[in-house]
Amino acid sequence: MLDTLEQVINEVTLSPKDFLDIRYSHTMGESFTFRNDRFDSVSNQTIGGIAIRALIDNAWGFTSIVETEKESILNAVKKVIKIAKIGSKYTDQERKISDKWVFEGKGSTKVKIDPRDIDKETKFEKVIGIEKAARKYSDRIAEASSTYQESHSNEIIVNNRGTRIENDVHVIRLMKNIVGREGTKMQNVFDSTGGSGGWELVENWVPEDEGIKAAVQAEKLLSARSPPSGKMNVIMDSSLTGVYIHEALGHAVEADGVIAKYSILEGRINEKIGIDQLDVYDDPTIPTLRGSYEYDSEGTKTKKRTIIKEGILKGYFHTLETATALDMEPKGGGRALNFNVTPLARMGNTYIDSGDMKLEEIVEIAKDGVYLRESNSGYVVPAKGQFYFNCQYGYFIENGEITDMMGNVGMSGMILEVLQNTFAIGDSWEPAFRGSCGKMGQWIPISGGGPNLGVSDLVVGGNV
Amino acid sequence: MSSEIKHHDLAKHIIDYGISLGADQIEAYVLFGSVRSVQIERGSIRRFTDKSNSGLGIRLIKDKSIGMASTTIFTSDSIESTVKNAYALAKVSPPDQNFNSLPNDTRQSQPIPDKFDKNIAEMPIEDFTEILLESIQEATIREDAVINGNFSVGYGERVIINSLGTERSSNQTSISGYLDVKLQDGDDVGNSYYYDAATTLKNFDYIKIGKTAGERAKKMLGSKKITTATLPILLDPESTYGTIATILASGINAFSVYNKTAFFIDKIGDKISSDKLNIIDDPFYPGGTDSASYDDEGVIPQKLSLVKEGILQTYITDSYTAPLVNLENTGHASRGSFAARPSPAPYTLQIGKGSTSKDSMLEDMKEGILLISSSLNPIGRNPQISTQINQGFFVKNGEIVHPIKNAVIGSTVFDVYEKINVVSKEIENRSGHIAPWMELLPLQVSGGK
Repeated sequence: MLDTLEQVINEVTLSPKDFLDIRYSHTMGESFTFRNDRFDSVSNQTIGGIAIRALIDNAWGFTSIVETEKESILNAVKKVIKIAKIGSKYTDQERKISDKWVFEGKGSTKVKIDPRDIDKETKFEKVIGIEKAARKYSDRIAEASSTYQESHSNEIIVNNRGTRIENDVHVIRLMKNIVGREGTKMQNVFDSTGGSGGWELVENWVPEDEGIKAAVQAEKLLSARSPPSGKMNVIMDSSLTGVYIHEALGHAVEADGVIAKYSILEGRINEKIGIDQLDVYDDPTIPTLRGSYEYDSEGTKTKKRTIIKEGILKGYFHTLETATALDMEPKGGGRALNFNVTPLARMGNTYIDSGDMKLEEIVEIAKDGVYLRESNSGYVVPAKGQFYFNCQYGYFIENGEITDMMGNVGMSGMILEVLQNTFAIGDSWEPAFRGSCGKMGQWIPISGGGPNLGVSDLVVGGNV
Repeated sequence: MSSEIKHHDLAKHIIDYGISLGADQIEAYVLFGSVRSVQIERGSIRRFTDKSNSGLGIRLIKDKSIGMASTTIFTSDSIESTVKNAYALAKVSPPDQNFNSLPNDTRQSQPIPDKFDKNIAEMPIEDFTEILLESIQEATIREDAVINGNFSVGYGERVIINSLGTERSSNQTSISGYLDVKLQDGDDVGNSYYYDAATTLKNFDYIKIGKTAGERAKKMLGSKKITTATLPILLDPESTYGTIATILASGINAFSVYNKTAFFIDKIGDKISSDKLNIIDDPFYPGGTDSASYDDEGVIPQKLSLVKEGILQTYITDSYTAPLVNLENTGHASRGSFAARPSPAPYTLQIGKGSTSKDSMLEDMKEGILLISSSLNPIGRNPQISTQINQGFFVKNGEIVHPIKNAVIGSTVFDVYEKINVVSKEIENRSGHIAPWMELLPLQVSGGK
């Protein structure tokens, strides 16, 4: 396939400032969900085709096809160039791709045990075991479910700057979702394991233990207090720290949003936006994490990205286009979900570095507030600098002590305030947030985390 | 050979091949489509996209075990290998004793008016661009307005065939536009947006998209934090639909009812809200973006009264869930994508109007919050609501005082339904999604002040 794509690129004549890339993308996946004593879905998915982009006279053209023979690709390239030229009549922005970043090579996720070599029954045992253990734990467990997913992606990327990359990404995930219910009171407990790699990342999850652990938690939550309401001190565990930094900072430093003047952090490189002790980075090169990959969907080799160093904003997430526009290094931030969409500036594994405080010390400093655990979801409006995220449960902090359990709750904050309001950074560090991030309809695997974190003046939205 | 016949033959081939492998029953769900879209960045064109958007999903049953497989690649080899994958999974998967049968609906379906517009299907990209440039012009409320967004036109054919004789095929066009406008005065940012979609060009108000996005962005300047309080909430029609319809969709779908996670379990014939709430689901609404003459299993749906004066009338079902909740199949099977298994979901909800004017609802508000383009949604599948205010205003003595920043509304889905206090006589109809203004009795609002 690489040869075919190269032949096509070589047959197309463009002016030196124009850009063309062709990306072959093929993903095969399997997913099984076992819910309330039966399989909800046992499925296999194949998503494959070729994505073609051209940047001609400051406007992009994009198409995708599922045919892979040379003639079809050539025709698609001609179509893309034609629509990009039409677009260029309507644009007044300058867009270009530097020829500084050219990559050749092959990349692949390290896999110790290929899940494709594991028989289906063994995979079924995992989800059935988790579900059964949870459901049988108590009649207050309304619904127990467990999902297994694996996906194997192959991308081949060539462009007219000389990039020639082949990259494989293998992602595996085992999840549990338990719902406790008593009348109209319902509480949901979710957790997952896995990452980029093979069966070795999920095999140690003992189904019975995981099922019971989640069921115990769901039951406890049915008797938990309602969360409080108002502005207060919040201590987050590693998982919540992960979703917090993803929403409170990560999306606002995606450079496509910065270029579109849609981020409050536009033009703030080298400005102090957090406390001195705050270091934030994103690193897709760490083996086994869910957001790890060697080359991005533009063929750029990934590198660790420093986002905040000692409270000072140091970097953005880049595609080739945004790196050119802002004269920064791309570092492999251009990710695409599949052949049918274009790469966007995205995160991989986003973390806050650990500090030196024990949880007990942080609780003592907070004195009153909430200690919130286990991420759920979040979003941000980067233009306004306002973000939101929520957790699965938490505890009250009263007079410097962790007291009663509380149910799930959402929180709101302003980007330019909260990073300055960090009052404690814990000494632990865990890659505890393993999720998926959605942007313009593209859901991609990511991870996040760090230490326990204390932040003052977050708005907590309980319903007491 | 017309494309319709070709696509029908492809689906038929899948059925025949699956049966030849040994399937007891098999269903092919095939989407053929194309999308042309234009991305707008800082007020001018960034990217033209012209791509196909096709895929097929197969559901195959062998001895009550179900295997599913999907692909975007339509070569003979790929299709046959996809059928084999579904068969292999059904062979190893444990049987599902709840499974009865794929549906067998051979009634003639009636096409829905205004679902297909050749003006959209054949529109040159230059003409489409002229439309969106006019919309951008309307959004340019100030010289320095930052305008981003996306406009799309699409054409799609949906073919569903199963081995029991169900055969359906229909075409649909779509046109949609979204503009986001940002205004900035120093550190003060006013940011808002507007989105609309239609199935025909004549029903697509692209001028309104730009005009509304621009005007709203201007109104969002000068946002302030508020103190924590208990306040009544006034929902605009979009917020009413976003809140009430989302809760109902999770609350009454028979799959969740069977799994005991639906909000309104065991509530048919009981009160689930204040008596101000009336909801009808009309799958046949002409030109509705979500209208359909058959569901995602090929079954002709029913127009249903779902909530009448606060009392739940029925659940929505599909072929799998109807027997599990002892109801007939209402034809509400819906798939998130061609690869997904169907599950019940509403089509085009019509939330009934009241008798009070929307202006007097605002005028009568002593102190409260007005939400636009928002929704009070549960966290995941929990009934708890903890929603940030992104497009909301503080109201005092009947006047909008200022937009709100950094605040969260906390409640539950049950509380929101019970607190529906006043419903406007005016309604907004967005491609069949009909909703009035609604006032909710005081809810807890956490403020950042």
